[in-house]
Amino acid sequence: MAKNHSAANRGPFNAVISANKQIGQRFYRLSLGFESAGAKAFAKLKPGQFAQLDLADTPLPPSKDIPEDLVDAARRKILLRRPFSFSDVINKDRKTLVDILYRVVGPATLRMTTLSAGDSVNIIGPLGNGFWVPRGKKQALLVTGGMGAGPLLHLAKVLTADHHGIEAIAFAGAKTEKELPFEGQLDEISQELGFSLAEFARYGVESLVATDDGSAGFAGPVTDCFSEWLGRAGLAGKDMIIYSCGPEQMLAKVAEIAEKRNIDCQLSMERMMACGIGICQSCAVECKVNGSSETVYKMCCEDGPVFDAKEIVFSS
Amino acid sequence: MEEAVDISVDFAGIRLANPVFTASGTCGYADELADFTDVNALGGFITKSITLKPKKGNATPRIVETDSGMLNAIGWANIGLDKFIEEKLPIIEKMSAAVFVNVAGESIDEYAAVAEHLAGEAAIAGFELNISCPNVAKGGITFGTDAVQVTEITSAVKKAAGEKILMVKLSPNVTDISVIARAAVEAGADALSLVNTFTAMVIDIETGKPVLANKTGGLSGPAIKPIAVYLVNKVYNEVAKNRGIPILGSGGIRTASDAVEFIIAGATAVAVGTANFIEPGCAAKIVEGIKKYCVRKKITNIKELTGSLGIG
Repeated sequence: MAKNHSAANRGPFNAVISANKQIGQRFYRLSLGFESAGAKAFAKLKPGQFAQLDLADTPLPPSKDIPEDLVDAARRKILLRRPFSFSDVINKDRKTLVDILYRVVGPATLRMTTLSAGDSVNIIGPLGNGFWVPRGKKQALLVTGGMGAGPLLHLAKVLTADHHGIEAIAFAGAKTEKELPFEGQLDEISQELGFSLAEFARYGVESLVATDDGSAGFAGPVTDCFSEWLGRAGLAGKDMIIYSCGPEQMLAKVAEIAEKRNIDCQLSMERMMACGIGICQSCAVECKVNGSSETVYKMCCEDGPVFDAKEIVFSS
Repeated sequence: MEEAVDISVDFAGIRLANPVFTASGTCGYADELADFTDVNALGGFITKSITLKPKKGNATPRIVETDSGMLNAIGWANIGLDKFIEEKLPIIEKMSAAVFVNVAGESIDEYAAVAEHLAGEAAIAGFELNISCPNVAKGGITFGTDAVQVTEITSAVKKAAGEKILMVKLSPNVTDISVIARAAVEAGADALSLVNTFTAMVIDIETGKPVLANKTGGLSGPAIKPIAVYLVNKVYNEVAKNRGIPILGSGGIRTASDAVEFIIAGATAVAVGTANFIEPGCAAKIVEGIKKYCVRKKITNIKELTGSLGIG
């Protein structure tokens, strides 16, 4: 067999839906279960890795349930798979259960809302490289924007379970309260520190909320909230690590803050993808070449989606 | 029962185990799909475009999905000839499919140089001359839409290619594809590959700008299949049939039924492209599906099917 890859089995697998819960106006949490080879592959899923879901044959919701701004998009027959990262992985009785947090934004996620318990979906994954934990860190700072919360929830769980020496703190941002992808978001676990999100609290991770319009928590961009917090932080930059996922503009700001304060920083990037497996070369991320002014394009799917913030060239 | 069906084909003098290829740019340089499918089940394999020097490719977004299709404007991002020879050829040597290297460049000399460097490599069956890529500023489609230039570049690369098969990949973005096909064949092309993608644009109505950084891209996928079938049939009738030139048909093939349509239209073999992105194992499935079709239709040799289009 002519084969130079050592990669594990990446499917395609069939996963069976166990729940598809609406958790906000446009937010859902899809829970999927894998058995046998799929369970084995996804059991080792790292926070930040992703998978490609084939939703082309998933039906649309009835027209009365299609939001007005998506009526035109819903008409489009989709072709390509869609990449999603995961907010949780549970291994139980030889089965692997995974959660995907998603927001309804177009024809594919609209179709996704009609998946219900017992349905199956074809998945290629796990794909890409997840977040990694360098030695010697004492504090992990998780900065999320909108839907970017998903993989950082998974990371919070892994940090708590496997990295006892590291304290994690989450900074969750969105445009408005309604766009925070959390359930029971403002349960007042710790009013003194701002707002605390149950999703992070269950891993013992403190969280601060920021909304651009001030409808919840800190009024302003989450990066401002984060910056202010850093100004009061007790630890040296080398003891901390920043993990971030969200809109690219926010990631650029996070990278800038990290650089200024000399804090290691990993960013989960997003690109339009066709294959997700390193073939199509669509999802290029411009990266600096060490010690030179030249840049190269790395592939978000295979080289990322998590990158060291120092590598990324952000378009202004 | 299936042994009774012979789906092997003669393609410009070489024997292929079956008529199914994977198309350039949709299957990597060598065995990148091997994690998902048996690459040795393929009849043929066409590498990503190779240029003399490595190319970074275009800025992003490089793709956008459309109704039953997608636009791409990758811009020949590739590792370059030297790295291809060093890293990929050893893997290609072990592949059982007939491997064609897709050759690209900004000048005729560059195309010829790539072919010349690889002409002595036993692992390679031949070349696919990319004079139809719509996503680069220099080269590609600028050569493929003018018959005089097609003649010039085909002759130059034919000379450089030595004994290897030279297949010319045609652009559908021309007034009369047969004029270009004829120019390629008369200049020495051993086979024709058609079609490349259709130049297209998607506009973001919120910003009023094209979605792709390159502004335009090449449309592929099921959306283009009926046009591609028509063009294959046209070139088969007007150019290829009488000259005994095989056609590699492509454009939106996802299923065995799609592949059979192209073969009936006049293709000796077919290439699966965009579908590899969605279903990496689909080319192998198509091989099996073609066999089943032949059994059902009592066809014992697939060559009975090539160009068998019934009219009237």
